Amino acid sequence: MAREMMPGRRRFTAGSVGADLLILLWFVFSLFPIVWMVLLALKTRSQQTSTYFAFSPTLENFGTVMSRRGEDLTSVNFSGALLSSVLNCGGAVLVSLLIGIPAAYAAGRWKYRGSEDLMFQMLSFRFAPELMVVVPLFVIYNQTGLFDTTYGMIWVLQLVTMPLVVWILRSYFQDLSPELEQAALLDGYTRRRAFVMVALPLVRPGIAAAALLAFIFAWNNYVFPLILTDSEATTVTVAVTKFLGGGGQAYYNLTAAAALIGALPPLVLALTIQRYLVRGLSFGAVKA
Amino acid sequence: MATLELEGVTTRYGKVVGVEDLELTVGDGEFFVVLGPSGAGKTTTLKSVAGLVDMDAGRVSIGGRDMGGVEPYHRNVAMAFESYALYPQKTVFENLASPLRSGRTGTYDKAEQSKRIELVTTTLGINHLLKRFPRELSNGQRQRVALGRVLVRPADVYLLDEPLSHLDAKLRAAMRAELKQLGEDSSTTSLYVTHDYQEALDLGERIAVLRHGRLVQVGTPEQIWREPADTFVAKALGQPEINLLDGEVTGGRIVAAGGAVSLPVPSGVDVGDRVRVGLRPRDLDRADADPDGGAHRAGAERLHLRGRVHLAERLGRLVELSIEVGDTEIIMVAGSDHAPGEGDVIDMAIDLADVHLFAPGAPGEETARLGSGRPR
Amino acid sequence: MTTTVTGPHREGPRQEREAPPPLPTVPAWRRRLRPYLLSVPAVAIIIGILYPFVLGVYYSFLNYAAVNPNPVWVGLRNFKAVLTAPEFWHSVQVTLVYAVSATAIETVLGIGIALLLNRSSIIGKIFEKVLILPLMIAPVIAAVIWKLMFNPQFGVLNHVLGLGSTFDWLSRDRALWSTVLVDVWIYTPFVAILVLAGVRSLPKEPFEASDVDGAGWFYMFRRLMLPMMWPYILVAVIFRLMDCLKIFDIVYVLTAGGPGNATRTLQVGAFEDSITNLNYSRGSTYMFLLWIIVFAVARYLVSVLGRAQRRAAGAEG
Repeated sequence: MAREMMPGRRRFTAGSVGADLLILLWFVFSLFPIVWMVLLALKTRSQQTSTYFAFSPTLENFGTVMSRRGEDLTSVNFSGALLSSVLNCGGAVLVSLLIGIPAAYAAGRWKYRGSEDLMFQMLSFRFAPELMVVVPLFVIYNQTGLFDTTYGMIWVLQLVTMPLVVWILRSYFQDLSPELEQAALLDGYTRRRAFVMVALPLVRPGIAAAALLAFIFAWNNYVFPLILTDSEATTVTVAVTKFLGGGGQAYYNLTAAAALIGALPPLVLALTIQRYLVRGLSFGAVKA
Repeated sequence: MATLELEGVTTRYGKVVGVEDLELTVGDGEFFVVLGPSGAGKTTTLKSVAGLVDMDAGRVSIGGRDMGGVEPYHRNVAMAFESYALYPQKTVFENLASPLRSGRTGTYDKAEQSKRIELVTTTLGINHLLKRFPRELSNGQRQRVALGRVLVRPADVYLLDEPLSHLDAKLRAAMRAELKQLGEDSSTTSLYVTHDYQEALDLGERIAVLRHGRLVQVGTPEQIWREPADTFVAKALGQPEINLLDGEVTGGRIVAAGGAVSLPVPSGVDVGDRVRVGLRPRDLDRADADPDGGAHRAGAERLHLRGRVHLAERLGRLVELSIEVGDTEIIMVAGSDHAPGEGDVIDMAIDLADVHLFAPGAPGEETARLGSGRPR
Repeated sequence: MTTTVTGPHREGPRQEREAPPPLPTVPAWRRRLRPYLLSVPAVAIIIGILYPFVLGVYYSFLNYAAVNPNPVWVGLRNFKAVLTAPEFWHSVQVTLVYAVSATAIETVLGIGIALLLNRSSIIGKIFEKVLILPLMIAPVIAAVIWKLMFNPQFGVLNHVLGLGSTFDWLSRDRALWSTVLVDVWIYTPFVAILVLAGVRSLPKEPFEASDVDGAGWFYMFRRLMLPMMWPYILVAVIFRLMDCLKIFDIVYVLTAGGPGNATRTLQVGAFEDSITNLNYSRGSTYMFLLWIIVFAVARYLVSVLGRAQRRAAGAEG
């Protein structure tokens, strides 16, 4: 496998030092905003605009953001948004797995009329402009009472999670030799038991990767909650932006603290599935 | 215990033919070998029997029961896959226990499971590997586990897809002997697929030869060897391959190799004006050097040839000789004692009964056998 | 063994035995239905999502707005109005500039980073782990961070870069490029990890041979590596270009399309029309036109990708 790096013949030449410098430059650029956000989140209100790097850090902001007091200050119910995000995204991923795994299995195992159309339709959702769907949904949700509900969000988030789950898992099922399940059939197991006993355990990493990645993308989504929720089912992404526009008074330190909290779950999840990330992000097109 | 019948079985993959109009009947308890090169439809035959592929036409019956529409898990057949198809997440023991735990191959308590597994793994020489995972095994060990997963359970039919192909030569010989014993002891109908003619001749009670998804010949090893249906079967059996010479029929004689090969047209064989003469390298004897070495039947009429040794290649106790006979080259195999050197002129002979006559054809074209050189 | 070895067994001794019970069968049509049954729920979801989509297309032929709850069919009037409005063409221009420049910069940087990380340098190994951090932060949150950094008065950028307190990153002239900068910050790692996977899948031998002379490096890169990496690069480009064409969240948070309409991309414009102004038909017309652009580009790029993959497969095998 090409996973390991090329055998290292270390040479400290001008070229290799230069290359390291270049890469260092990128990572200064790449990490600086994150570091700065962390710093800002540790500042007090009086330090937030008057200092850059030298200040006395405090963890108070995180508590404030999550509490009732923060809501009074900024009129953003951040802990509520956090809970909504978990419910929306968790629900959406669950639905996508329940529906997507059988579909991905069918598309990966059999060549049947329409399977390619189905897959392409799924992919087109990934690339379709969200508003094309959301604007009519905005009208429909307002008429049916799905506006600003978890159910409404779970439904619309399928647009994000379903294509991801189906495409990633299909590529995993395709990699699995059908003869394994055939052997189980001849051992006397029904198709369902063969699937559960043989196929499912073997694609478990794929399922985990697809589920977590779908969760990340659902979590990071902004357009859907922005338009289809108000206060009840609104999410972290919307809540973080609300800090900026909130009530005339600027609480940049609280904004940064909220941003940090909102950014943390995807980061943690992404690091746990880093091995499968490339394959997931490319919808199974690149099997790293 | 069951007979196995295939009637007009046709299985295609899209436009690619797997098997076409296959007719086979395997007797109850028979050890039946399907022989053919890769792509001949051997695996498709097995999978059609197992119900793992959808047939386009035809009928499979096991024990007289039509298997049309019957799911694989209801057919009570076991199969050893060429790819092994071992469950990677299960240990060898669990792999072998899998058919015993499904509830469709009988009911076995824990002790009985262990006993059966112990028995079969001892036979196959893999009883020290029970706790290993498939990825920790060599290909030969995996293949034996795959075979074990079949033998561990009772079934109406055993389907064995090249079960010895990945074993090393020594182990293969030993396993072949085991399988032969097993085939004789057990009363389970077995369909055994291989591309190795020696395996087929050694193991098969009967052999079917497949080519391009079609059945070419069915018969006992003796029949297949003595009376190959056509040049394809003749070439498939025997190493080195059979010598095929283009001959002409003139004045009641078949003449080939520029006159160096000449035999009377045997009575009862309907030849035209052209014919192909087939001589197996191992059927040719040295007529000059070791008169008792050739196992020719006493009093049998023989065809005599003379040629110059062009190349002599030692293969252990035997020597493969390329001999210029007339205007062609003939391969023969001789004992390495007193083997001729390159450039020597030698005399050869072959029983007329071992001379195969085939219909004429272009190079590469397979033609039917007309008969032997011995008058009927 | 008593069985005969020739001939069919139809009249064999079997008749003396009891006829075995019939086995359960599954008719062929039900067998063939299986994959469809497994896909039914997914198809239901697709239909559920296609319904509002079709409704959106339908809206673009109505004069539907919150102020006009009883719309009527107006044919192509919306399209005529949108296509003759200079602001639409301005949005098309903004969108294309954004999409092409962001994708181009990210591709070049991504390939560069991938190649640099592929050298087995210690620094490269450490940084590989943190490479994806910006990619996994929600784009909106990233935009919020950058918006704070862009702030002329207390924003850290002007301080660090010594630009004083009057340099406005989000002014009319610079706003578009600042949004592209944020896009580059977020998504360059995406290109980089895909290309890195491509680089690592390359066979090593030809490159080790030409590794010796440094002068041949660029030739080797252009003639050997690039053709083999091309499918990976194309996948990254397709994803980036498609996403950039429908860019909304970053731009909306940073500038909301402003100042004026300097960064009013098509989706931001559609949002303004349909959600801010509640003119659903006009917004839907925007979206439908954008959808056509995206679809056409996607079709083209996917066909290019297919060709590249076949060629790369041919080159390797």
